[in-house]
Amino acid sequence: MKEVMLDCYGEACPVPLVKSQNKIKELEVGDVLIVQIDHSCAMKNVPEWARKEGYNVEVEEVDDGEWEVIIEKTK
Amino acid sequence: MAREKVVEHYDVIIIGGGPAGLSAAIYSGRARLKTILLEKALVGGLATYTNEIANYPGFPDAPKGEAITNLMKEQAKNMGVDFKLTAVTSVDLHGEEKVVETFRNKFIGKVVIIATGGRPRTTGAEREEEFLFDKGISFCATCDAAGNTDKHVVVIGSGDAAIEEGMFLTKFARQVTVSVMHEEGKMDCNEIAKEAALANPKMKFVWNSVVKRFEGNDHLERVVLKNVKTDEEIPVDCDNCFEFIGYLPNTELFEGQLPLTRHKYITVNEKKETGIEGVFAIGDCTDKWLKQIATAVGDGAIAGTAAERYIAEKEIFDHKIMQSEKPGLIYVYNAIDAESRNFLANIEAIEKQHAGKIVVNRIDTYKSNGLALKLELEKVPAMVVTKDGKITEKIYELNESLIANQF
Repeated sequence: MKEVMLDCYGEACPVPLVKSQNKIKELEVGDVLIVQIDHSCAMKNVPEWARKEGYNVEVEEVDDGEWEVIIEKTK
Repeated sequence: MAREKVVEHYDVIIIGGGPAGLSAAIYSGRARLKTILLEKALVGGLATYTNEIANYPGFPDAPKGEAITNLMKEQAKNMGVDFKLTAVTSVDLHGEEKVVETFRNKFIGKVVIIATGGRPRTTGAEREEEFLFDKGISFCATCDAAGNTDKHVVVIGSGDAAIEEGMFLTKFARQVTVSVMHEEGKMDCNEIAKEAALANPKMKFVWNSVVKRFEGNDHLERVVLKNVKTDEEIPVDCDNCFEFIGYLPNTELFEGQLPLTRHKYITVNEKKETGIEGVFAIGDCTDKWLKQIATAVGDGAIAGTAAERYIAEKEIFDHKIMQSEKPGLIYVYNAIDAESRNFLANIEAIEKQHAGKIVVNRIDTYKSNGLALKLELEKVPAMVVTKDGKITEKIYELNESLIANQF
């Protein structure tokens, strides 16, 4: 089980989503992907996409307008 | 084996962080209730999908929805409200302790306020699923407009959201083609938006049309519309498509626990109470006439206040009224009724007669009806006799000796 950070600071939609989709393909089941974002638009599509895929998702607001989307690859 | 969930206790658990939930959080936090707000994605809800909010009082410069909801969030945080950004996986609303579970936590609350809102409705047309999110179909012009600079976009729908967001898109896109279900000239939006849209040279309309199918390889390339009168297919080549055809309530979690309307909205009364004690519902997930930020925050104010009242009354009821140390006499009366007000003297006499041996409580229904309702009385005035914290007798006759003889 490893944890991978994906830095998407400064990136607008749909870049964080596309990057997340590509990155998660490289991970094993049980691994955790942490997507760092600061564009609120990505807060709408990244967690929704990940939940729709069936992954476990939690979001931490690390600062005002900065989030870490924590995605556990469950399958 | 699954990891044990961390259990946390709260007075009030709010599910959903749109304007309704935020407003409830502000009221509940200000009432010094221990409050948590659970939001599955971005705090602000559907308001954050709107680029200009021109009709929310107090903001004359038509800010972005997010600008308004961020201020609400800040205000709630100042009131000591906790925020957790995660989806609720299940709820158990029956019983005195309400249970709300997320992927890693189990929250137990005295009150649950449901503010889960709605989500954009999709057309259900062929191959729609393939192009959702970043593949060409979007529901948020604010989020995705800039990516459509000099492109051709199709907008589905003719309500306020469709036309206003469509016009916003014309600031970026080369052309905006709007598919309208109705006959030429007829739209669901307000008249001002309609006039402006018809006069906008970048906007084209396909009347009497609905979406039949989406086409493309990796990304959307074409929306095939269908004329509802002639069944004729109308292919429209485009770069992206925006759907604004209304919303569906996010109420799946509560099915089987709460009364829902035929269209799955939660039914509430004037105090935003649902069918279950201690559970309130507010905002777009409820059955209401007007869904606006202004009405959502109103709902939130009611639920936050009603929650505080409910918790306070329950506390008094459980620990004071239904005390179990001594035999109890509860006098329920209405202070504006002279006869029952005069009988207070008789109650006092009984209290003196049995001084130290019984506990007497007086409930004035004129101030609040909640406690009297909990006693399930047929009428007021009434006397309720308790023993060991249980009701043994209900007397509806104002007769001092009859009551005194109970002890």
